[in-house]
Amino acid sequence: MIKNLRVKSSKLVDETYRISFKFNGSTYYGFKGDTLASALLANNIHLVGRSFKYHRPRGIMTAGSEEPNAIVQLHNGTSRTEPNVRATEMEIYEGLVASSQNCWPSVKFDIGGINNFLSPLLPAGFYYKTFMWPASFWGKYEYFIRKSAGLGKSPNVPDPDIYEHKYIHCDVLVIGAGISGIIAAKTAAKNGFRTLLVEEKSYLGGSTIYQDSEFFKINNQNSASWLEKEINEIKKIENLEIKTRTSVAAFHGYNFLLARENLTDHLPLEQRENKTRQKLLKIRAKKVITATGSIERPLIFDNNDRPGILLSSAIKKYADLFGVACGEKNILFTNNDSAYETAISLIQKGIKVQAIIDNREEIDSKLIKETEKNNIKIYKGYTIVDTSGYKRINSISIMKLSKDGQKVIGSKENISCDNLGISGGWTPAVHLFTQSGGKLKFRDDDQVFIPNSYPSNQISIGSCRGDFTLDEILINATKLLKDFLNIKKTEYENIEIYSAFNKSKRNIWLLPSNKILGKTKSFIDFQNDATAKDIKLALREGFRSIEHVKRYTTTGMGTDQGKLGNMHALGIISETASSKMGELGTTTFRPPYTPLAFGTIVGRNVGKYFDITRKTPIHEWHVENKAEFENVGQWKRAWYYPQNGENMHEAVQRESKAARDSAGILDASTLGKIDIQGTDASEFLNRVYTNAWSKLEIGKCRYGLMLNEDGMVYDDGVTTRLDENHYIMTTTTGGAATVLGKLEDYLQTEWPGLDVYLTSVTDHYATISVCGPNSKKIIQKVIPEIDLSDKDFPHMSFKNSKIGKVKCRVMRISFTGEQSYEINIQANYAKSVWDNCMEAGKEFNITPYGTETMHLLRAEKGFIIAGQDTDATMTPIDLQMDWIVSKKKFDFIGKRSLYRSDTIREDRKQLVGLITDNPEEILEEGAQIVADMNKTPIEMLGHVTSSYFSPNLKKSIALGVVKGGKNMMGQKLIIPMEKKQINVTVTDPVFLDKENKRLNA
Amino acid sequence: MLNYSNVIENDKSYPGLQMREIKPVMKLIIRGKKRQFLSAVGKSLNLLLPNEANTSSRSDQLTALWLSPDEWMIFSNEILKSDDNNYDVEKLLNKNICKTNLGAVTDVTDQFVLINLKGDKIFDLFETGSPFNFNDFKSKKGLVTQTILTKIDIIVHNQDINNVNLFVRRSFSDHLFSWMNDSASRL
Repeated sequence: MIKNLRVKSSKLVDETYRISFKFNGSTYYGFKGDTLASALLANNIHLVGRSFKYHRPRGIMTAGSEEPNAIVQLHNGTSRTEPNVRATEMEIYEGLVASSQNCWPSVKFDIGGINNFLSPLLPAGFYYKTFMWPASFWGKYEYFIRKSAGLGKSPNVPDPDIYEHKYIHCDVLVIGAGISGIIAAKTAAKNGFRTLLVEEKSYLGGSTIYQDSEFFKINNQNSASWLEKEINEIKKIENLEIKTRTSVAAFHGYNFLLARENLTDHLPLEQRENKTRQKLLKIRAKKVITATGSIERPLIFDNNDRPGILLSSAIKKYADLFGVACGEKNILFTNNDSAYETAISLIQKGIKVQAIIDNREEIDSKLIKETEKNNIKIYKGYTIVDTSGYKRINSISIMKLSKDGQKVIGSKENISCDNLGISGGWTPAVHLFTQSGGKLKFRDDDQVFIPNSYPSNQISIGSCRGDFTLDEILINATKLLKDFLNIKKTEYENIEIYSAFNKSKRNIWLLPSNKILGKTKSFIDFQNDATAKDIKLALREGFRSIEHVKRYTTTGMGTDQGKLGNMHALGIISETASSKMGELGTTTFRPPYTPLAFGTIVGRNVGKYFDITRKTPIHEWHVENKAEFENVGQWKRAWYYPQNGENMHEAVQRESKAARDSAGILDASTLGKIDIQGTDASEFLNRVYTNAWSKLEIGKCRYGLMLNEDGMVYDDGVTTRLDENHYIMTTTTGGAATVLGKLEDYLQTEWPGLDVYLTSVTDHYATISVCGPNSKKIIQKVIPEIDLSDKDFPHMSFKNSKIGKVKCRVMRISFTGEQSYEINIQANYAKSVWDNCMEAGKEFNITPYGTETMHLLRAEKGFIIAGQDTDATMTPIDLQMDWIVSKKKFDFIGKRSLYRSDTIREDRKQLVGLITDNPEEILEEGAQIVADMNKTPIEMLGHVTSSYFSPNLKKSIALGVVKGGKNMMGQKLIIPMEKKQINVTVTDPVFLDKENKRLNA
Repeated sequence: MLNYSNVIENDKSYPGLQMREIKPVMKLIIRGKKRQFLSAVGKSLNLLLPNEANTSSRSDQLTALWLSPDEWMIFSNEILKSDDNNYDVEKLLNKNICKTNLGAVTDVTDQFVLINLKGDKIFDLFETGSPFNFNDFKSKKGLVTQTILTKIDIIVHNQDINNVNLFVRRSFSDHLFSWMNDSASRL
């Protein structure tokens, strides 16, 4: 039955602004400022979901981020759908559509509810025990287990929202804007610290902001009024930034924190277009003040999970802050004074309180006296032993507790109700503190874990450090802040505080029942349906560590991460195993504190910003000429240029033929280029390359192989001597940054005495490579002033030149085996030079070719690609490149390793050529190479590293690494494929022009 | 004559932020450790190289940015002609530094794209993608930092209040500028 339980207007809720929303298909109304939970409660709706395991009806239980039950699916079936949203935090907006999770066909009638009746058959560890056998049935079990796993539905279409990241640096970060956070932020900011205050809710002030009672006063004003003035003041402080709807997700080491700032989730969908939904704040704070407050504990008794059972503090908050009564016949059950605060609030608002059940026997406080004045029956020394009402609580059963609190005595009494508030005291919210590496200690007096030692420049203040009364909070926070901020005085020194709260508490982790434990359902983890019985079963079965019990029973493993019940699980373990709570420890609190959307974590690193793309100065030409691109490192390199519907193979055959027959042109700008200068430049090259450099003439180029200290090939490239003390080194495209870093590292740490300076010029120069028999004619047309005669400009030499007024460098070097020239020109002129080359080459059918053709051409010539034909296990000798390793040089990086017993083994994998018996058959790169198919186990000799069909040789060619390959020339080997075996012959890796006639032509 | 093709074609403007490429601007990396190197550069250019980390110095024609204890970037304050890449400053330094074995001079004119940013939202933009703490940086003229913006290496030179020079390697500049525009559109 829909009722209006709105009892009183509040500052947070704007009753002039009505909002309609849908829940489970029905339309309801709330007001601006309502959460989904407060709006549903105002409509007298408690039943919002079903529990995970037993599908028990569950209602709203809290008013904050600790909520285990009221988790809903938003906008199901749309791109904005989101599961597991806590109704207690979700602010309503016009058009909000929410639905219950984990129920079918509806939350009111859920087929899965049968699990509740089968529960005696479903103890903790049911899955582990049941689905072990027969092993062959696992496939069938898995289908059903997967079907029932998880809560809610994840979206299956792209997220339309925008997420961003933001880096923030501050002197002081204050987490939580309750009374402690407010005074901390004000004190820090007023003392000149650049301060950031973050609060997960939409308003400031925590629970004090609605503590409007004569029993809690500061400087003779109600604490709420006093705090409101403080809040108004801090809003005006310039160096204090306040962020609401901002939840700290993670507190990492050295005061690095992640927080989610929620910007549009409270807005109607049509107002969210082109706005950032959430920001992930990456905060580095010199000092952190944690003021995250505390979470009220539930009480653990039989059937303590029914809809209509809420935390006592939540009932107070719904009444005080949202003006909503959670029921018309309220009962409170407590072990401390907090429930009386709730009772007084409800009385003030005219909400009926039937009775208070207090498990304490002899108690007296101002709050209790005030409650008693209102003729509310207080059952002292009693406990609830059972509740009834399937979809909403309708009565409780109480019994007297024995003196020791271990059992119940006397007779059972039933009291009818429609709402029950429970209060088991308070648990400091130490989650963020422990995430940062902080260690806890257990305070026996009131059975709480509190911060002990701080790993970074941080403090905890307020109830998250175990100060629960107003006077404790203010006095201790002031003292702590003075020390922490190193200030002499705060404005809260002589403050007058009045708090009527009596700290006495009777902590009983598992309240006794008149039934045996096996017949009760006393829930500890409300979301995962872990009960006290399950915890005890786990202990009986031999689990002792809290981490093991957690995983066996799934306690604390829901989306709420056990914020409510974990302490009780610990308490029950401690009591049952007779161990001390402090020694037992806690489970590990891991980030995020509350769930984070993947979008928030990813930010704008999606779509075209997923990864960085680097482009050459000629990139646009490649795009205009329909090149296909391949990613090489972060570079976009032209791969091949299909014409008239060619596939890659056809394009590559055409391009490579043209390059050998007439002229080809390649954009080689991506190769790494390092400018090397200094009087020790030659000596430096001697040390980093395997071959000798001192005698290289000015104007000449030389190929070099760079090794790691382990003797394995690391990078290669051509280095040119530009002047006596000036070289330019080229590196592989992918290796450019790491080679520069490595060389700089050697200079700074190993060889600081060398007079050598390195500067990257990779992006400064574009490199245009023209190859083929007609390349000389084309270059001559582009640069008329240069003498290209073989005598004046032989292979492996370089010249400075000019095109117009623009200086450039021309190298005659080749990676294709053809006569080839590379023009290196300042990047912003490169496109123009490329155009000139294309124009000049028209008569020679100059053909642009991409990386695929480049790979084919170099493979014909047997040139390696570091990283493709090598894999960090190949020495130069393995590559049959003994000629490049100087025997005379005193040292070079990796030299010593080349003479280790392992690196001189004859049967190491060595680079060889492979020719297929069938010249049309192209091997697959990565395919295994074997000699004997009948040997068991089959011996794998190596693998194919490069493979192509050569249009110039009119046959398939391949490079591969084969154990002892150097001595296997002419030997037949086998490449076993899925459905066939390919026979190959081992050959020399140079397939074309071994005499280098074409290079020097 | 060769055509000149820079990466960033259009200036961009958003509330509180204007972005444009400044080109052609000569840029050199000069490196050296010796005391004579510093004095030779100073005399050659009539510009004292900054020796304090992450600072800069400026003459009428040139600005020098400290990059590391033995490395500076020098760039021309004026825009140069685009049909010529022969720089007198480079020639002079080659003669007075390289030929005398005092250090190294390398032309990096097109290694870096210089993007000038103006407006009071510059650092709001940076905060969306750079982990560097700009709190003190933004109020001190002449400071220099090398950091990352959306994972791309950049050099930031705080030329004046709300007037910043950003240097990024050319191959990254198209991606970075696109990202900066995307981010700026929501500031």
